[in-house]
Amino acid sequence: MEGRQLRPIYDALELPDTKYALNECDKLLRKHPNHYGAQALKTFILARSGRPNEALLLGQSVLSTPSAMASAHVQQGLSLAFRALGCPREEIMVYTAALAFSPNDESLHTKVFMAAARNSMFKEQHHAAVQLSKLSKQQKYVWWLVVSLLLQAKHSKDDVAAPVQLKLAERLVEKAVTDGQLTSTEELRVYLDVLDIQDKHEQMTEVMAANGQLAAMISNDPDLVTQRISLLIKIGAYDKAISAAIAALESRDNWADYKLYIGAVVALVGQAADVEAKHSLAADISSNFEKWAGVRGKARGAKLAQVALATRMHEAGHGDIAGSPEVLIWSYLAEFQQKAICYSDIMQFIVARREPSVLEYHRTQLEQRLAAARDSAANSDDAAQAWVNLEKIRYLLQALMGETDPKAWAADIEPLLKFGLGSSQARKKQPSCSDMALIASQRIIQAAFFAYSAANQREQLHSALFKALCVLESGIQLNDSSFLLKLYAIRVYLYLSCYERAQTIYDTLSIKHVQQDTLGHLIIGHGMALGCFASDMEFCYNGVTFYDRFRSKMPRDIEAVYQQGTYSNVQDFLEFQSNIVHSAQRECTHRYALRGEGFEYGNAKETLARWEEADVSSIEHTEQTLSALHDNRDVLVMGLLTPKDMAQWDLELLTRSTPMPGHDWIQAFSLIPQVMHYLVCADNESLQEKLSELTLVVDNTSGTLSRQDVLLVRGIIDVGSLYIQASDPQNGIDDQLGRLLSVIRTNVPSNELEPSLFSLSSDSIRNLSAATELFTYMLALKHALSAQRLPAANAVGIALSQLRKEALKSVNALRGWVDKNTRALVEEQWLAENDGDIFADVTRFVVGSQKQTTSMVAKAFYEGFYEDTWSDLNKKDLLK
Amino acid sequence: MSTIRRFRAMDLLHFNNVNLDRYTETYDSQFYLSYMSNWPDLFTVAESPAHKLMGYSMGKVEGTGELWHGHVTALTVAPECRRLGLARGLMRGLEDASEKIHDCYFVDLFVRPSNTVAIQMYEHLGYILYRRVIDYYQGDGVMPTEYAHDMRKALPRDKHKKSIVPVKHAVNVEDTFF
Repeated sequence: MEGRQLRPIYDALELPDTKYALNECDKLLRKHPNHYGAQALKTFILARSGRPNEALLLGQSVLSTPSAMASAHVQQGLSLAFRALGCPREEIMVYTAALAFSPNDESLHTKVFMAAARNSMFKEQHHAAVQLSKLSKQQKYVWWLVVSLLLQAKHSKDDVAAPVQLKLAERLVEKAVTDGQLTSTEELRVYLDVLDIQDKHEQMTEVMAANGQLAAMISNDPDLVTQRISLLIKIGAYDKAISAAIAALESRDNWADYKLYIGAVVALVGQAADVEAKHSLAADISSNFEKWAGVRGKARGAKLAQVALATRMHEAGHGDIAGSPEVLIWSYLAEFQQKAICYSDIMQFIVARREPSVLEYHRTQLEQRLAAARDSAANSDDAAQAWVNLEKIRYLLQALMGETDPKAWAADIEPLLKFGLGSSQARKKQPSCSDMALIASQRIIQAAFFAYSAANQREQLHSALFKALCVLESGIQLNDSSFLLKLYAIRVYLYLSCYERAQTIYDTLSIKHVQQDTLGHLIIGHGMALGCFASDMEFCYNGVTFYDRFRSKMPRDIEAVYQQGTYSNVQDFLEFQSNIVHSAQRECTHRYALRGEGFEYGNAKETLARWEEADVSSIEHTEQTLSALHDNRDVLVMGLLTPKDMAQWDLELLTRSTPMPGHDWIQAFSLIPQVMHYLVCADNESLQEKLSELTLVVDNTSGTLSRQDVLLVRGIIDVGSLYIQASDPQNGIDDQLGRLLSVIRTNVPSNELEPSLFSLSSDSIRNLSAATELFTYMLALKHALSAQRLPAANAVGIALSQLRKEALKSVNALRGWVDKNTRALVEEQWLAENDGDIFADVTRFVVGSQKQTTSMVAKAFYEGFYEDTWSDLNKKDLLK
Repeated sequence: MSTIRRFRAMDLLHFNNVNLDRYTETYDSQFYLSYMSNWPDLFTVAESPAHKLMGYSMGKVEGTGELWHGHVTALTVAPECRRLGLARGLMRGLEDASEKIHDCYFVDLFVRPSNTVAIQMYEHLGYILYRRVIDYYQGDGVMPTEYAHDMRKALPRDKHKKSIVPVKHAVNVEDTFF
């Protein structure tokens, strides 16, 4: 009967036609107001339709009627609704209430277990596992119980309960071992985890030393072999650790094993009674490394291990007992410099010792080799790669030696350009040529930032960056598959305020799915800052879709781990889930999307409805929620040649067009929609509270807000304050209105000031974009004042109308200027060769042999400034 | 030389230097997670001494009877880490697991015909072109629509090498489902 009544609702949901489904629910509820199945389904539909508050209210009312839970329809509808609402406790309460009617229902207990497992509710998970293992003899439930106990203890702050839980888990596993029920490496890993958290390392080594089936499992699992060596070190059994490491390294070439081997030997040398014993230990390990260095396929690992050993010995105060790290570094380079990975391998060891004498030694060694490497680069791929590696080391050494002279950074770029872009190897797309083109552009960028760091030299900085861009683009034209060239090109285009071409290059990288979290920062938000709102919104919506899909799908993956018995994934999956769900980039993407939506054109009614209906409670942040965010943004992918702790030489930092949005930014752009919501709802008390919070953020910002962000935030504060002032018709609003109009006027390009290429590539488009956005907020303010029949609406309306006329006139003049002048100015200012120009060689090269690409880059700017910027800006309220 | 270990979900946040390569497809996160859940011993990553991901192999086992086999779903190495024998090492690891842990008859994989470097490597490892699959790869604006080469290598359990008798005509994608 109940099923038949609900059928039309299920059918509508399958279509899916949510509106129709909701109508069907209401129809049924009109006839049978206490139809719990219909109420449960309505809760689900409301939850899925973005009406969480109504859903929660209705869902809780059904939940408070225990008898309703006897129905499978209610259980299903309500549990899905609470899951969609992100209310795991309520979801579990549904199952628990249902268990009152069928206490031995295994599937219901499993649902409780999974709901708890998906949401890191370890206590509830444990309780469900206990019930399941009582109900059924299936061995998997014992492991679910063990994993639950382990997780509970790991995440518990209860010092009394945790040891008891772990002891119980250990006993359960021991029984499984005795009964022959430990049958997979996954279960073995759980066992080891249980012991590890109790610091029972000796017992762990005993388990791992076992014979028979367990031994076979360990030998077939590379991670466990390494873990065993690590454990032996932990218990101080260095000799055994060394033997195990040697045994492992005889059969495989694994860097983790090398590191552990070195660690064990360094510890033993530290304990050795006399110098002779120390030398003997060092000689033994060196001899093994020498032996493996002679084995085909192992040479690279063994040689690098020699460098690592010597470095570790130095760090531990044992001097050159295992050889001089510097000598070994150059010996390693001599042998492997033809491999692209060589620089990445060796960089950490060069960086590890930064004493001037050591760096000077490296510089001498480099100078002895560099010219020869350059001369022989054309001979073969290997020779070219060797030169690339030496050039990377030259770059690193200059940074480590604190080089800030731009001439030193710009020196000898021409040979790099000729090889990277003008050689026959380059035409054959040899990867080393793309690497060389990248190094050349990195040098130009680095030199430019040292040469033109002062505020009055920014024009020259832009000219130099334009040349770097020509180099990067030439490299991309030759080898479209080099993503590093593309990443730098995106950064430099955006730095110079040219969005469209940056976006086109970004599109060729096929960045999607989880990469939207790690790499989305490269493009998201930059369009809005440069007047290109539509394409930015598309990126935002793609990002939002990824996060929403992830949130709905990830729980199933956590369930799968338990179903498949691959328990070693549990912690990793939970951590991954937390990192994405609480991702800083997720917050930024959502806020940008919300910002773009607030900025979309609409008439007075639509605008007010948009802000009134906005669900602002879900975007509130506290210090606690902000500090819980994970920053997954990948900045290391840019192939940096210097360590991250050297800010002056960090090209990733230097090429940021605006600060990377941080906590201040997230908080500010979470507060702005709240301000607008309370403003249109005429809730002055809440509005005042939010304005105070926003003021606090902008007054104390730690550099994560751009100049335009600050302008916008302060403007919104004025908009909100003006509204409060105008709420009392007795108050005057002239001061605040005047200030707001002045902010917008100042940031719209003026008719009186001559535009310039520099102003376009630096601030004018960004300022105009921010002013346009602020104007839209002022228009919303005007609509709110009108709707509430406040007299100030008239004054604000007249002022905005006048402002729009002025802005249109100025902007049209600017556009005409861009059309007439940009192309010629790029030639005159960015490609001119000036006296004493440190980039004269570069200019000659890009204007000469890379003429076509240089024209293409110049055109990208012309089109960007003339067309792309205005295509969206002209649709916005200020310029419509 | 690298650290070879199981792939972890958290690696998805650090694999851009590998996956930005144009021949490497980035799948939905759930796709990777399902491989980790179902076949953790067939999803391996190589990590450099500088803790950068160098490449990974992702595989599964499927089929019934004599079609029980290991399948290489993805094998990729970061451009910087090529010419080190890493792909060969990862392939051997996957073949070993297919043979020793899962007792398969053969290992198979799909590759773009335009990826000649990879095909050469697979041939060097003993794989043969078993059949061609029509329009297996769909164009995405960056890479074109292409046939796939379905390549196979017999494992010791397939004593008579029945699994690698080539099919002469091209087949449709649905014919490749097990």
